[in-house]
Amino acid sequence: MKQDQETLLRDYAAGVVSWSTLKERGFADYVAVLGGLGELQLRPPVAPMEGPNVAARERGRTIIRLALQQHHP
Amino acid sequence: MIKSFSLIVTDTSPLFTLVLADALDVLLRPALPVSIPDAVYIEATRVHGAPGAEQIVSWINQHLDQVRIIPTNIGIDQQRRLEEGRSTRGLGEQAAIETLDRFLAANPEAEALLLFEDNDIVKRRAIVDARASLISTGDFLRELEAARLIQSTDYILDRAAIQGRNVEKQREANQDATTRERLRQQLSSYD
Repeated sequence: MKQDQETLLRDYAAGVVSWSTLKERGFADYVAVLGGLGELQLRPPVAPMEGPNVAARERGRTIIRLALQQHHP
Repeated sequence: MIKSFSLIVTDTSPLFTLVLADALDVLLRPALPVSIPDAVYIEATRVHGAPGAEQIVSWINQHLDQVRIIPTNIGIDQQRRLEEGRSTRGLGEQAAIETLDRFLAANPEAEALLLFEDNDIVKRRAIVDARASLISTGDFLRELEAARLIQSTDYILDRAAIQGRNVEKQREANQDATTRERLRQQLSSYD
């Protein structure tokens, strides 16, 4: 793995850059991203609850929670 | 009583993460209809050498009552671009927006839930109609974990990365074999 790719993947895992950025910087598909993360013993990021979409995300989580409660009581 | 919702997959990343973790079925646990825009589906299943592609096709076929591929005009454009060898970057997300618009227009009472990749959802303001909500792959898995329907979010994400590494190694090996074969053919042409 090239040094710049490794840096990008480490930044991605740390939440510094997005998947869109990785695509712009030459990662052909998300399998390549997962493969690179695996090679570096990193895992895909889980976004913190912050940024411009928090309200819409909170609603989304509530929808899933209610659906799960309804179908898996 | 929960309203009528559709879970719209906006990108290939949730599909690849879950298929490589052998966990695509988690998408069905909330029992919401799952809509995959055609451009996202094509992008996910045309990846050469990714075993995930065949599993995605098979999984969709096993769950046609709950999972639908949604035809879009963007998908038509994508086909044309692929035939002409032009870039198709970003078309999956555009197809998801078209899918959302069509869904909301056709169902005045319904609401949509857009499934995004995690870092994108933090960094960019997503379109949001009052009847559209967002969820990231990580948020989705955390809700399943809280409901004790999966062992852990980290387990699934780790598994996807480990399997991704194996797939990449296989791809590299195949690429090396192809390169060796081409070289052999070229050398034999000089004989």
